[in-house]
Amino acid sequence: MTTEFGIVYAGHIITSHFGSVVSKVCDCLLRRGPLSSREISRLAESDINHNKVKDILSLLIQHNCVQAFSVEPPDGSESKATVQYIALFNSILHRERYSKFSKVVKEELGPECVDVLDGLLSNGRLTLEQMIDRDRDRDSKGSEVIKDSLEKLVAARFVERVPSPEPVLGNKEEGPAKKRGGKASKIFKEPETLEERVLEAATPVDAIRFPFIFEQDSSSTLADEDSNISEGKRKQPEVDSSGPSNEVIWRPNFEELIRRLRHKACVEIVKERRDEGCANVLKAMLEVGRSQEKKAKPDKSVPVSMGSIYEELIKTEAGREMTQERVEACLEQLSATSSYLPAFVIESDDSYIVDFKSIISVAQKDEMESVVMRRYGKEAFRMFRYLSQEDRFVETDKIADAALTEKKDTPQILLKMWKDGYLHMQKLAVTGVYMPFLLWKVNKLIVSRQMLDEMYHASLNLSLRLTHEKGSEKELLLLPMEKLEGALKERRNKYRAKSVLLASTKFKLDDAIMLFHDF
Amino acid sequence: MSKRKRPEPKSSSSGINEDEKNILGLIRSKQGKGATTSEMRSATSIQQSLITKAITSLKKSKLIKEVPNMNNKGIKHFLAVEFEPCKELTGGDWYIDGALDVSKIEGLKEICVKILERCERAKKVVTLDVVYKYFDKDGGDGDQLSREQIREILKNLVLDNVVMEVKSNGLSGFSATRIGEICYKLTGKKGCGGGGGEARDGAFALVPCGVCPHIGICTPDGLISPMTCVYFQKWLDF
Repeated sequence: MTTEFGIVYAGHIITSHFGSVVSKVCDCLLRRGPLSSREISRLAESDINHNKVKDILSLLIQHNCVQAFSVEPPDGSESKATVQYIALFNSILHRERYSKFSKVVKEELGPECVDVLDGLLSNGRLTLEQMIDRDRDRDSKGSEVIKDSLEKLVAARFVERVPSPEPVLGNKEEGPAKKRGGKASKIFKEPETLEERVLEAATPVDAIRFPFIFEQDSSSTLADEDSNISEGKRKQPEVDSSGPSNEVIWRPNFEELIRRLRHKACVEIVKERRDEGCANVLKAMLEVGRSQEKKAKPDKSVPVSMGSIYEELIKTEAGREMTQERVEACLEQLSATSSYLPAFVIESDDSYIVDFKSIISVAQKDEMESVVMRRYGKEAFRMFRYLSQEDRFVETDKIADAALTEKKDTPQILLKMWKDGYLHMQKLAVTGVYMPFLLWKVNKLIVSRQMLDEMYHASLNLSLRLTHEKGSEKELLLLPMEKLEGALKERRNKYRAKSVLLASTKFKLDDAIMLFHDF
Repeated sequence: MSKRKRPEPKSSSSGINEDEKNILGLIRSKQGKGATTSEMRSATSIQQSLITKAITSLKKSKLIKEVPNMNNKGIKHFLAVEFEPCKELTGGDWYIDGALDVSKIEGLKEICVKILERCERAKKVVTLDVVYKYFDKDGGDGDQLSREQIREILKNLVLDNVVMEVKSNGLSGFSATRIGEICYKLTGKKGCGGGGGEARDGAFALVPCGVCPHIGICTPDGLISPMTCVYFQKWLDF
């Protein structure tokens, strides 16, 4: 779900990481959808010539922010398939989450693997040889350690082989769908986007994507000389992205890293709303079912038996404190429904399924309601909750009766929320009645989209403010801290407090963005 | 030749004339909703001046009463004295003189939370009956509450996210209740004041932009921007 401020925010990330010229090319792709390099040089600023565009595209491909592809010409057509480039909005936003990814890997595989992952995150794509060279320039752990770490990262699916540089898409009748636009249909139904189709076509099968054994010599059958696995056709790429040799190139696998963050978020949500025991049981369930998760964000997990949950649970210290009876009680609690919480786990034929969608929806609902509460007040909060529960159009007076709010004030409160896009309104004209009846509804998809756009906006604002604060204290920051005294020291401390607050808020806000966009 | 005066319609045995009788009949047929003068005119085809005259006379004879419409103070409804004004005119049980009795509602909500707290300490499941019995026993202040009113208060606490509704499954904690019966529990949410109700703090609501009324007109280089924002200034004032 890309929104207006999502694009502005993505553009800002690219500007701060690669400069404004690269950002212009990226912005062009984000706003106009897939384009060929010639089209980009025509549409982007006049000072970016074709060769420069090609260089910028190579850079963006290296950092996994752009993917090349071509569409098969229609049968019998003489025209050649042109290479097009598509900006990967999600991968651009992931650039702000690198510290979160490193933390996940550190917790699971230790600091050595983090170093390798950090290298991949900051360089985009690397061969094993390049990783070893990088290590040699730093604190030199040795090539064996690097190779072991890479093997561990690939086995855990945190790192993958680079996708096909230029997959060929089958010629569907409707042709390449526009990335943006068609707003109304997007609101109610999310069809498979072109971005998804391109990524699917570029991704090799699991055996090639996550090989068990890999060699670094160029004669290896695994080398990236022909990676167009999915559709079998490959031309010489217009933009060279495969590196100097045809050695295997690796990159971070955002899909798996986001999956881990999704699981972590689910455990946290359950811990806060139920208790530690339930969170431990859920964590064990996720651990058991993870390897069988085929989609990036499935609605439900695979069924897990009580035996396998307990087996997984006793691997952890906290889990060993739990008896089987306690685990059963936790599962019962997780399956319970109330007006406050839906069932997080579904029991079916002696096994249990984690309902990801319901867990995530609870956190999304809390995010939405807290904004409504703070922005519009307690009465609006009750009305919003009532309309969310009803999930249908309700007349103004009925809302006032249910929320026990003053009938005269109710229309104004509802109108305020409607103006900001938090409510959906319909007028119902009745013969003989002068004033039309107003009917109201909470459309969760529209509210989610609205909130997401505002969150991108807020994230951008926090980032800009942080840069502004840094810029206004530029000279002060050049002075060494230990030499500062009195008013200057106080000013420096204030700057530090401000930047910590801005950065930590942005970090937490990004968690909320992931709730609505990535989970 | 002098014009002959039109004879007044014969008074009936109860002392009211034909027009008044028609209007009274219409008002009575409308029961608790009553009738407005324009409804009387279109239903009876009597002239406005005669309607006004008839209303004054019926009011004087204490056969009808005037009730204001809480949604539109300018419109008067006339009801037969034997009927009580309906919910649409008064606003319902929670309205006094056309205004919502907020203090009464908040007071009742606080009492309900206390009952729930007490019952939860005693490990007792709370149903509507339990709360109703409490009010029936202790609420002897002459203001008797109906079961429906108590249900409305509990529902309102659910909307406040202070109380949750749970359907009894007849097992463990719910053994004293019928399967499927709605029970009430405190949500025990962090940051919830007694009976006040608060949302869980979301990450977005904690950023000034999350509650900013001007977010729609805020742009990086605009008049309102994160660099000139007064809310940011206040938030970052250490």
